[in-house]
Amino acid sequence: MWEQIKQALVDSTTHFLTRFAHFLPGLAALILALLVSAVVAWILAAVVRRVLASLHFDERLGGWGVASLAEWSPMKSPTRLISRSVGALVMVSGFLVGIAAFDLDWTYLFVQKMFAYIPDVLAALLVLFVGNVLARFLGRSVLIGAVNLNLEYARFLSLGVKWIVIVLAFAMALDHLRIAQGIVELGFGILFGGIALTLALAVGLNAKDLIAKSAERDVKKAPSEAVEDPLRHL
Amino acid sequence: MEADPTPEPMGPTGEQVDSADLVVGLLSESDPNAIAKMCDELRTLPGPLRIAVLHNDQPQSSSPATSETTQGRAFVFFVPSLLPKPEVPSAGVQSMSQTYQSVFAAAEKLQARGCCIIASKLEAATPPWAWRMAQPLFESQADLVLPHYARRKFEGLLNASILAPMMRALYAKRVNNPMGPDFGVSRRLFQQMLAAKATGNRLNSLASLTPTALCQNLQIIEVNFGTRIYPPADWSNMSSVLADVLSPVFVDMEQNAAFWQRTRVSAPLPVVGEPFPLDQDSPAVDTRALVESFQLGNRELQEIWSLVLPPSSLFELRKLSRLPVEQFRLPDELWVRIVYDFALAHRLRTISRDHLLRSMTPLYLGWVASYAHDLTLGGAVSPARRLESLSLAYEAGKSYLVSRWRWPDRFNP
Repeated sequence: MWEQIKQALVDSTTHFLTRFAHFLPGLAALILALLVSAVVAWILAAVVRRVLASLHFDERLGGWGVASLAEWSPMKSPTRLISRSVGALVMVSGFLVGIAAFDLDWTYLFVQKMFAYIPDVLAALLVLFVGNVLARFLGRSVLIGAVNLNLEYARFLSLGVKWIVIVLAFAMALDHLRIAQGIVELGFGILFGGIALTLALAVGLNAKDLIAKSAERDVKKAPSEAVEDPLRHL
Repeated sequence: MEADPTPEPMGPTGEQVDSADLVVGLLSESDPNAIAKMCDELRTLPGPLRIAVLHNDQPQSSSPATSETTQGRAFVFFVPSLLPKPEVPSAGVQSMSQTYQSVFAAAEKLQARGCCIIASKLEAATPPWAWRMAQPLFESQADLVLPHYARRKFEGLLNASILAPMMRALYAKRVNNPMGPDFGVSRRLFQQMLAAKATGNRLNSLASLTPTALCQNLQIIEVNFGTRIYPPADWSNMSSVLADVLSPVFVDMEQNAAFWQRTRVSAPLPVVGEPFPLDQDSPAVDTRALVESFQLGNRELQEIWSLVLPPSSLFELRKLSRLPVEQFRLPDELWVRIVYDFALAHRLRTISRDHLLRSMTPLYLGWVASYAHDLTLGGAVSPARRLESLSLAYEAGKSYLVSRWRWPDRFNP
């Protein structure tokens, strides 16, 4: 009996040590991959930062109409954002290479899925970026246009347009990432409809006062309407 | 002599027209009587000149303006086929620029010594304009003949508030109507405009004509004209007008920066003719709406203005927006700094150029309100004195512009 227990313990220890011995090279490979990728990431980030700085990337970005990227960047510098993103990408790649070195079925599948997922992540990031730029541009256009039309609720209109585009971009990004697609679609429908309804109500209720004010102004202006506006700009 | 308003199609055909001494481009719709009268005036130019009149409303074949030709006098004929038909009735600066370029191309094709462009509506009172434009081109060898319109106090406000005084401060010449739109142009100048366009230069044939002549020290003469018929203000489209007009002006400013940073004190231009006296009585201006537009802009556009204007200007604007309508005055120094800061932001592309120029509309309306108050309320000054002090403010503020232009990040008062 005692012999059998001893044999079982020895077998278990041997099995554990064998599995651990199989695991160790993978762990060492992961640590090495992380160290190498950290060095490569640091070098690549430095190179990208220097190249972008020499091209005056931050200054030129304004000229390309994406000045808003600076607000999302560390230390308000899109150059830093891009160089750090490159570094992070190299680190993640190194991590995936290290994980794959374990030579286990699940690690292989994990890495395979992760790589298959990367295009979706990139597409989602692109959608978010374009959506953000578009939202800011449209928001600003509506704000300026509404102010020049003397609309008192110019800011509200501008915010409405901006958030509709951002919500739309966010929903599209989540759809690309295949995260809770049904809920996202439903949630987006409710949110978008809610925003549209809120805007319609707000504009409608405001318009009531506005029309009253406008009519009042017209009545006041009526006697002097015969007088021509003397201002000529061109 | 009363000319026949419907010229008979006789004389050389379109293919036979290969040369002219002067090309006159009529860009506006005008009644045949006014055109016939203009042709009569042109015929009195000295020497046996061949004058081609480009006008869309004339028959498709080349024809003399009248059947009468006299030895030793100018011969006037129509060449309608060379001028493209205007696409829209209220053309913007860009579209007008293309039409100007077509007139220059027609003048080059006909090997003309000069060309005149009459874009203002040619009423019965103004036919001598083409003659007055043409005369300095031939007699004084001028390269650019600019109009000096007799204007009422609330006419040509965009020109009075920005274009003319800024051009004076930048290029050191007291030009009254730098953007015409009526011009007399020598062969040398229109050839330069055509060559610049051919090399892909971003020149705007309407806005860049005067700066090009000024930068190249060409001879410019102003001619005193009568009143021009100004289009009524379209308040719903004000921001488009502002963006349309100011964009090419700021682009020129960027291209000619090396020149205007060297110029100092302004000098007047040679003037031909006597100024036309004009009755300055005008209906009262309702400035309440203008001030309210300014106040709304100040409230809602701070986010955009703060990207363009320094904190000191924003602070002053906030103070102004709290004033009662009757007391509203936008100081010249502040207005000048605002215009210069917008020009700089246009160059740096701080935000989209279209957004930038459209966001200037409430500020411009604020200036118009302030100007109207200065001319109409207690202690009113004459328009000429008021605009002269504005021009001096532009000249005084030029050092501010030069500093900000050279060191946009470092120099921020």
